[in-house]
Amino acid sequence: MLRTGRNRWTGLAYLTPALLFVLAFTVYPLGRMIWMSLHNWSLISPPRFVGLYNYRQAFADRQFWVSFLFTLKYTALITPVLILGGYLLALLTSQKSRLRSLTRTVVFIPVVIGLGVSSLLWYWLFSTDFGVINRILLDLGITDRPLLWLGVEADMSNFAISTSVVWKVIGFGMILFVGAIQAIPTEITEASLVDGAGYWQRVGRVVLPLTLRTVLLVTLISVIGSLLAFDQFYIMTAGQPQNETATSVFYVYLNSFPYLKLGYGAALSMVLALTILAFTVVQLVLTRRSEA
Amino acid sequence: MRTRFRLSILVVAALAVASCSQGAESQDATTEQVVPATTGCAGNGELTMWERSGGNKDMVDMLVAAWNAKNAACKINLTYIPHTEMVGKIAQGIASGQVPDLMGMDLIYAPQFEKAQQLVDLTDRLNGWSELTTASKGHMTVATYESRLYGVPLYADVSALFYNKDLFTRAGLDPGKPPTSLPELRSYADKISALGGDVKGYYLPGNCAGCNIFTVGPLMWASGAKIEAAGPGDEPLVGDGVKQVLQFTRDMVKSGNVHAGDRTENGETFHLQFGSGKVGMMGTGNFNITLARQQNPKMKFGVALLPGMTPGSSASFIGGDLVVVPKGSKRVNDAVNFMKFLLSDDVQVEVYAKALNLTTRGDMVDNKYFKAEPLVQDVAKALAVGKTPYTLTFFEQINSPQGPWLKMLQRAYYTDDNLDTIIADAKKSMKDIAEKS
Repeated sequence: MLRTGRNRWTGLAYLTPALLFVLAFTVYPLGRMIWMSLHNWSLISPPRFVGLYNYRQAFADRQFWVSFLFTLKYTALITPVLILGGYLLALLTSQKSRLRSLTRTVVFIPVVIGLGVSSLLWYWLFSTDFGVINRILLDLGITDRPLLWLGVEADMSNFAISTSVVWKVIGFGMILFVGAIQAIPTEITEASLVDGAGYWQRVGRVVLPLTLRTVLLVTLISVIGSLLAFDQFYIMTAGQPQNETATSVFYVYLNSFPYLKLGYGAALSMVLALTILAFTVVQLVLTRRSEA
Repeated sequence: MRTRFRLSILVVAALAVASCSQGAESQDATTEQVVPATTGCAGNGELTMWERSGGNKDMVDMLVAAWNAKNAACKINLTYIPHTEMVGKIAQGIASGQVPDLMGMDLIYAPQFEKAQQLVDLTDRLNGWSELTTASKGHMTVATYESRLYGVPLYADVSALFYNKDLFTRAGLDPGKPPTSLPELRSYADKISALGGDVKGYYLPGNCAGCNIFTVGPLMWASGAKIEAAGPGDEPLVGDGVKQVLQFTRDMVKSGNVHAGDRTENGETFHLQFGSGKVGMMGTGNFNITLARQQNPKMKFGVALLPGMTPGSSASFIGGDLVVVPKGSKRVNDAVNFMKFLLSDDVQVEVYAKALNLTTRGDMVDNKYFKAEPLVQDVAKALAVGKTPYTLTFFEQINSPQGPWLKMLQRAYYTDDNLDTIIADAKKSMKDIAEKS
């Protein structure tokens, strides 16, 4: 009995650093955010308790739901491109040769650039007056006047921003897929070759099933990242035209800081966090089922 | 039992921490004795100052360097805070008692901080300063809350009409006669756009709320209109000038007097447009004089006041920063002396004017440096007709990319919606925002 008690304390002692870390950097901020969401707080004046008012306001806020739907649309557009594109690139570059290693490096380089920097870069590339993309299209005679890529038409803006994000992050998925593909035991690949399987048969029946966990992991990361999209829209369209390209996080940011409605911003964040949590749970359940 | 005891200790500790932080918030600014202001040190030791990035960094650096050169015993240690983090940083500092001794503040945010009582009331200390009678009106308006004064101008940016003299000549217009009314501006723009090619008569930033309040707002003011709601119950968008200017801008877009690409302008390339040489006339700021010269050294251009509907009417937006003292500052006397230093004749001429930046006192415009640079002299005239909107919700009503101001302008520029409906919608949104302030 005594021994069990001592073991329990020893276990707790080992766990303490991690527990303290989680308490300080996860539990406390989360609790603080919930507390903030129940208050009216401008950051420069004392907080005032308002109960669930901020949540009621959030559910009635048309712009928040417009932003939320746009974020879902963006996520639905970009996720398949990132997964499929990243996987194809991984298939092309997973074998070991100098050219393939070089290709992997080139595709991966944008991943190490900050999203803010890459968004600014693409803002200039898409610029109507100064951008090289319009210059090329005009010089090749593909269009007779500059295209208005950003901030004028929502779908066009979404396409342009998605292009910039694909360029920026596709290398990340590719590297994870390459790692997973290279981890497949050579015996299995050789056995499928002996059985006379063609390239696409090997991909479909050997490589894909054995890398499915990585595919689901990359999908999860990509979906969460897309639902939290902010920098690229803030820099490239600032939510225009007519707030049609404002993402959820952009709207949370606007309310929390420039508008100084920290409590309302926290309530919006909570709604967003719960939604992302739901998506994550669904994906994790699907992952477990695929493993079963 | 033991668990309960531990819990109660935790609760007591938490309450103690909370009460400490409340105490820090309510702590008064300073225990310093008030001394008459000079342009030198009041105390010894380094002063700390925060300034936002994204403002006129070069000017602020020069001002601080000038103070440090003269006041070795109380040099200013200047720290730049990213513009978007400034509000949070100040609030955190005030709550924890870790505030700088003085700071620069984007003037549009000042009323919010003044209302929240987060700045030191300087009314009695600055009382009777003759320099303040000629200080930039726009700055002084927003530095004042309920008849109490909280700061003085740090630097000023004003908007004006820049016009390309080369294009005026090519279009058969007199380069010495810029337009003095909006109808005249329209007729000039028609002639310049008729030159063809890439050239257009005018420029309208279609996706930038801030650029538009800076350059289209004055067109409305000059036409007798009022834009923002100052607070709950105040009526925004008042006067015929609102509709007249919206009609003018809609006509400019429809008649092809602006580039199609202007519609995507979110402020990133705004400062580069005039220097491109492809725009006949454009509302922009004093900063564009140097920039346009660097960009296009051969281009000849002039600066005039932004006009209204009737000939001779004009207005300008006065922007820039204030110097303020956050509550909790331990060096208020030195901060006030720095203010005295900034407003002194010598600094106005030998620092501001010498660097071809606007003086923050109207009576200092007539100086040797501006005389040698007629364009700066022209743009400085805007200080006399300029104003700064006064509202506690400037960002939400005006500056936000999601706010009613930009939405109203975009509907006016690019749709055929009824202008009365557009104005009524914007008016309602602005009033709702002001109501919640």
